[in-house]
Amino acid sequence: MQLLLFDGFNGLIQGAFYALMALGLSLIINLNSVINFAHGGFMVIGAYLAFSLAPYIGFWGALFVGPILAGAIGLIVERALVQYMYSRPDPVYSLLLTFGLALIIEDSVRSIWGAQGVPFQIPAGLGSPVSATYFFLTGYRLFVMGAIVVATLALFAFLRLSRFGIRIRAGILDLETVSALGVNVYLLRTVNFGIGILLAGFAGVLAAGVFQLVPTMGNDVIMATFVAIVVGGLGNLFGSVLGGLLIGLAAGLTSAFYPVASDVVIYVIMAAVLIVRPRGLLGQEGMFE
Amino acid sequence: MNRRLIVNGAVWLVLLTAAIWLPLLGGYMALASRVLIYALGAMALNLLLGFTGCMSFGQAAYFGLGGYGAGLFLTHLGSSSVLAIVAGTLLGGVVATAFGPLIMRRRGIYFAMITVAISQIFYFIAERWNDFTGGEDGLSGFSRQPLHLGFATVPLDSVAFYYFVLFFFAVGAGVIAMLLHSPLGHTFIAIRENRRRAQFLGIHVERYVWASFAIAGFIAGLAGALNALQNNFISPANLYWVESGNFVIMAVLGGMRNFWGPLVGAIIFIGIQDYVSSYFPNNWQSFIGVLFVIAVIFFPTGILGILRQRVKVA
Amino acid sequence: MSLLSLTAVSRTFGRVVALQDVDLEMEEGRLYAVIGPNGAGKTTLFNLISGFYPASSGQIRFDGQQINRVPAANRVTLGLVRTFQITEIFPELSVFENVRIGVEAEARCSARPWWSPALSRQINERVDELLSITGLTAQSGRTVSELAHGDQRVVEVTMALSRRPKLLMLDEPTAGMGQSETEHMVKLIRDLHVRQKQSILFIEHDMDLVFGIADRITVLNYGKVLATGTPKEVAADHQVQAAYLGEAE
Repeated sequence: MQLLLFDGFNGLIQGAFYALMALGLSLIINLNSVINFAHGGFMVIGAYLAFSLAPYIGFWGALFVGPILAGAIGLIVERALVQYMYSRPDPVYSLLLTFGLALIIEDSVRSIWGAQGVPFQIPAGLGSPVSATYFFLTGYRLFVMGAIVVATLALFAFLRLSRFGIRIRAGILDLETVSALGVNVYLLRTVNFGIGILLAGFAGVLAAGVFQLVPTMGNDVIMATFVAIVVGGLGNLFGSVLGGLLIGLAAGLTSAFYPVASDVVIYVIMAAVLIVRPRGLLGQEGMFE
Repeated sequence: MNRRLIVNGAVWLVLLTAAIWLPLLGGYMALASRVLIYALGAMALNLLLGFTGCMSFGQAAYFGLGGYGAGLFLTHLGSSSVLAIVAGTLLGGVVATAFGPLIMRRRGIYFAMITVAISQIFYFIAERWNDFTGGEDGLSGFSRQPLHLGFATVPLDSVAFYYFVLFFFAVGAGVIAMLLHSPLGHTFIAIRENRRRAQFLGIHVERYVWASFAIAGFIAGLAGALNALQNNFISPANLYWVESGNFVIMAVLGGMRNFWGPLVGAIIFIGIQDYVSSYFPNNWQSFIGVLFVIAVIFFPTGILGILRQRVKVA
Repeated sequence: MSLLSLTAVSRTFGRVVALQDVDLEMEEGRLYAVIGPNGAGKTTLFNLISGFYPASSGQIRFDGQQINRVPAANRVTLGLVRTFQITEIFPELSVFENVRIGVEAEARCSARPWWSPALSRQINERVDELLSITGLTAQSGRTVSELAHGDQRVVEVTMALSRRPKLLMLDEPTAGMGQSETEHMVKLIRDLHVRQKQSILFIEHDMDLVFGIADRITVLNYGKVLATGTPKEVAADHQVQAAYLGEAE
């Protein structure tokens, strides 16, 4: 029973990460119409930046600054490269562009920080378990869950309540009309991309304390993120969150019963969803179908 | 018409005489074989991508399966290189055909994602099934066998193997060429141009997508089998999504709408990869990444696409 | 013997009722127009008949067969062929290649994976024949994306004809056309109707055109049939005048 809870909780944390990543990627796919293969790479950048900054500004400083730096890099990338993809109707180009970026990022990270994993210090207080029986409930892991929940809620609040957020939501529905109404869609897309990357960077900083920091971290994460979005439903932001949680939990539980299959199970789930309900759990009909 | 004949003739002439001119340029035959193998894989992918309009990001599945099919054949079943090739081709093709119904109704990113999902499933199977597939370290211990031609036995050294590969490349490329000039090929292209119009002309689009997918699977399997024989080794890396991406970039770089595009793309890709990895063994990946970025921004129609436009204008 | 018959056909999208209780009878050999203000449901009607999406309720019979559940591609084989309001053609192919796709589909050889000179000759002859019927022979080798809008729409009609339709459905055939292009299209439609005895169902906005050539008209308004009958009957109908045509000139 303990094992099940352990795996389940681990799965939930993994799911929370996927949810955060899927949320950022979903924003980018929906508004910028760019299938950002480099999303995992930006997460890795966030993680390594935190690692480098932490000795100077502490964990909390890194938690704040890391994602912002990552987001800034995202803004530059959007202006320098991604924006040229908007006029191309065929999505294969944005896929290949970001694919190339992912490769560049991985190698750059490897060059700067080395191919071996690096350790990341989390604040001493958070490292210890909060409960004797449930040893896996360390303060840090609970903090991570909490941080992700807060970030997700903050994003949804931003989208719902702020003027910019409303424009993003409108743009996702119909960018042309939003543009016709006089909104600067260039700015909208750039900032939206930046926000998506910021979320990835945030996930990265949090991940640094839970998972091992290696340059190849991004590869498997990006695949799982795509799966989360497809399962949750393309076009629906909350669906991406749900999808992430679902597949994380599924992977966690599977590793309790049938460990060999825990990596594959998310793809099987995705295949099943695509057969039975191709638009995803909460997706809208007709999107990309 | 005539121009096409000349171009085709020139290409085959160049490929046939590679053993003569390549060493003079400082190249080696194994590199040429590698180019042909990946060109074939990219041509298979391009049947789907450039000619049927389906963005498949999971061709590595059938390429890898072809490799494992050949490797496992030589390990467990027999010692014929040719039969190993057949085994690999069949494995790749049959699996693709079997998964056809799953993917045939999807489009765009969904199509891409489910093709990736399939290849990831096989990737993890290959990685985990240690006893059978050799797991993470890959399958080794087999090697390509000499050809028993009745009157002579030809050991497949690097030159002989190059012509062995060239033969199968010709078969694969020939099948695709024949296809593209047939009514079936016309239908594929129609689907690429406008699915809805094709449907409302009475064409059952899904069935044709299935057919294209299956054929691409067989040819990718063929390429993968050749790949296994070239290296006497096959590993899960050949099934990973990055490998699928490599095929896509070769097709796009060379020119998605051109028959020979994937070959041109493979020459550039493999050439750069080979050159760069000898100078930057740890960072050659980023060069490939830069290549992707440059190709996408400056050469979306590919090298051949640009050439074709120049010729039209001239 | 009616070629196409719709009985109490409705279509809703969520809470929006696009078509309600529509009846329509069309006989063979007719030139039948469907008219109505924007948003009346004309294209929705076409979409239902051609199988783009299913009807929410009601029956659609074509050539004696109930086709409610028949997939779109199969309806084409049954003889129901349509064009679209926004031209749907194969942009980067030539006029010849565009029409060839339809001809190969009609010859049931779309799936043949090899080339044969005999078949090829047959196909090419048929394509040339169709191109001469619609007057596109001179444009045969040109890429359709480079053609004038009007010519593109003629290409689409030619493609539809390649499937030897029992019923040819044209969705706003003169949409976006200038004067001479419109005349050319009208002449084509008339020729097809009179000389080839082609049954044609078409949507149009140009009233002069409609009243000039149609022998039957159905008027739609807000998803319902407002009036149906010969041009004279429809023009005299008070409801139609009020809703659509304006007071009698």
